[in-house]
Amino acid sequence: MTHTPHRLEIQNASIGYGEKIVLRDLSFHVPHGARVAVVGPNGAGKSTLFKALVGLLPLQSGQILIHGLPLGNHLDCVAYVPQREDVDWRFPVTVRDVVMMGRFGQLGWLKRASRRDMQIVQNSLEQMGIADLADYSIGQLSGGQQQRTFLARALAQEPHILLMDEPFSSVDITTQEATLSLLDYLREREVTAMISTHDLNLAATRFDHVLLLNRRLIAFGRPGEVLAQESLSRAFGSSLLVMENGAMLVDECCPPEEEHHHTETK
Amino acid sequence: MSWFLQPLTYEFMLRGLLASVIVGVLCAVMGTYVVLRGMAFLGDALAHAILPGVAIAYILRGDLLVGAGIAAVIVALSIGLFSKQGTIREDTAIGILFAAALSLGVALISSMQTYAVDLSHILFGDVLGVSPADLWLIGGLSLAILLTVGLFYKQFLVISFDPVLAATLRLPAELLRNLMLVLLALTVVVSLQTVGVGLAAAMLVTPAATAYLLTRRLWPMMLVSAVIGALSSVIGLYVSYYWNIVSGSAIVLTATAFFLLAFLWKRVRS
Amino acid sequence: MKKIFITIYLTLLTALVLFACGQPAPDSPAAGPVVLASTTFLADIAQNVAGDRARVESLLPFGADPHAYQAAPADVAKIAESEVLIVNGLEYEHFLESLLENAGGERTVIEAAAGLSPRADAESEHGVDPHMWLDPNLVVTYVENIRDGLSEADPAGADEYAANASAYIAQLEELDAWIVEQVETVPRERRLLVTNHEAMGYFAERYGFEIVDTILPSFSSEASASAQEIAAAVDAIQASSAPAIFLGEVENPDLANQIAAETGVKVIDDLYLESLTDGPPAATYIGMMKHNVTRIVEALK
Repeated sequence: MTHTPHRLEIQNASIGYGEKIVLRDLSFHVPHGARVAVVGPNGAGKSTLFKALVGLLPLQSGQILIHGLPLGNHLDCVAYVPQREDVDWRFPVTVRDVVMMGRFGQLGWLKRASRRDMQIVQNSLEQMGIADLADYSIGQLSGGQQQRTFLARALAQEPHILLMDEPFSSVDITTQEATLSLLDYLREREVTAMISTHDLNLAATRFDHVLLLNRRLIAFGRPGEVLAQESLSRAFGSSLLVMENGAMLVDECCPPEEEHHHTETK
Repeated sequence: MSWFLQPLTYEFMLRGLLASVIVGVLCAVMGTYVVLRGMAFLGDALAHAILPGVAIAYILRGDLLVGAGIAAVIVALSIGLFSKQGTIREDTAIGILFAAALSLGVALISSMQTYAVDLSHILFGDVLGVSPADLWLIGGLSLAILLTVGLFYKQFLVISFDPVLAATLRLPAELLRNLMLVLLALTVVVSLQTVGVGLAAAMLVTPAATAYLLTRRLWPMMLVSAVIGALSSVIGLYVSYYWNIVSGSAIVLTATAFFLLAFLWKRVRS
Repeated sequence: MKKIFITIYLTLLTALVLFACGQPAPDSPAAGPVVLASTTFLADIAQNVAGDRARVESLLPFGADPHAYQAAPADVAKIAESEVLIVNGLEYEHFLESLLENAGGERTVIEAAAGLSPRADAESEHGVDPHMWLDPNLVVTYVENIRDGLSEADPAGADEYAANASAYIAQLEELDAWIVEQVETVPRERRLLVTNHEAMGYFAERYGFEIVDTILPSFSSEASASAQEIAAAVDAIQASSAPAIFLGEVENPDLANQIAAETGVKVIDDLYLESLTDGPPAATYIGMMKHNVTRIVEALK
């Protein structure tokens, strides 16, 4: 009997910045092609987890294994789609340039983009419905179009694991649906996806796994198991309001820049 | 045609032309990164920050240019260190280090004995006083630097635009950033030794800023920047010859004129 | 993209048209040997040796500070077209070095201070004091060097140069005697000089002045006086009862005024140490020295 290594394994990992530990003692494993919603209150460490998975933050202890091997052994196995604010929109690049950057991991130092690379880029653009915007400067795009550009770039990377940081906040319905159908497309190709979101409804209905964090692992598993009262109250504490009819409200009081989220969940 | 050829009958004008064109192109290309990464004061800052290096080289009776180069590289790498991911911004680091290095230099010079000559001015060249050795130096270095930029074009693009992607793609981001800073340091030192600080610092910013207004993508921006740098040098030098103005200033003003034209053109368009 | 190139092309064309109609290039050389001196006082001294045979021009204009001087192409063209170039030497023209060396062409270079030994100064490790021209006796050697250099470049004029040189040297000896006389009128204990930078060394040594203090003990304009140095200047002035602080023409008087306010001494800021003036009071080298000595003696009497 062959033992297929899980796509992604985290073992006793602690992640932080210098002295300050943000995520403590995480252990879980994610199978091939799973679609995981990463949820938790603000400051729970969702972005921190992604940064560690990408290699931006070193682990203070424990290990992260991809295909059974420690992080760093697989070149650009992991694609990361950042929150929109982190990008310099005045940089002189077009949509196509940005998506092509996703191929740079494969290109190596000296080589120029091959016909195949250009084809992959074109496919990614079409997949995300922005092929007609290919030669526009990124500064000319709307919010949703910018989001889709970065999704296209992640696609062009041909990753095994895709990470997305809050892709559903402040985007229009079209982009949201485009993102979700991209995730469906990726699932067919057995790409593992980990998406952080505040939208617990979405987590419950469109994802097959949920990772609930609040500075440590609260729960990981099927939505039904994880999004239960006990774990939710451990994660969200007093922000969780349990109604008499069994419905639960999570009031995520966020930092002033973001909107309030009121999410009802059963 | 004689007005075109006449200045060139002087050796110093010919060398000045070549030097300013080479420096113009080199600084314009490197200036693309300076402008996009918000480091517009780097040229001026480095020009003053090399003072302690020059002072120490003078005390040790070593080569002043080498002292300046070493100081510039140290300051550049320190900028990289201070502004490492998430600490302080690059322009803040530049400000701090520039002030510190300059003060160190002044303290060192002031503690030196009588008749110490004006050290930083020893290092600052004049576009009208370029020697054949200077030309070889600036020519060779420009070639090396531009080749390196060409070699690492994709990598520099990624680390400038999206450092997070650089990490994701497993690029040695810190190493590349330090390499870029070192290239900038060498560009500044050799340029100011050849044509002086006013000209070098300006050529690092103005042509690239002009090109930014006129292009939408990175390598056209570099190309247009280089063309404007070269043109400004040629036109500026000729204007200085016929109107009897200081050449470095004439070149800078020409480059600025190009910028104003581009700025107005862009306004008119939109 | 096309629009960019059109814009650039039109600008280029405009600029070319403008300066095609602009001023003509520098004049073509005159009849005799073309002689260029780095500074106005050197030019005057040299003109006295050259007499009518050659016209000596000065590279730096009146009142220019060699450290801050920025050349335009016409100036470097003058260097390129000169046949004889006269410099002070002793690193005085350091800042013009790259211009002087790279102007192209060939010429006889006369170092005016050649053969003179610089002032012995126990403290100085680097560089020497180049201000020899403030001692007329040393300028005699300048004259001899210039005479020899001109004769080398223009042998046909050797006799004339020799005659002019002798005449001028006589004038310098007269000047020297006059200065000695003037200095005699200052009480010995008041022959004290406080200066902004180290320019008066040779003058002081020759005529028996004591340099009480130098506010900026460095020749560098990058140097700033530390608090200690300013305090030392104040102390030295008060201890010696020096009557005045003397400044040259290109110096920032702020520090001097500060110290003067503290100590109650006069500030004389119109000495001409590094350049002649266009017209009185320092139109010639001898005129310059007479003016300086008059002001010094007046202040110290």
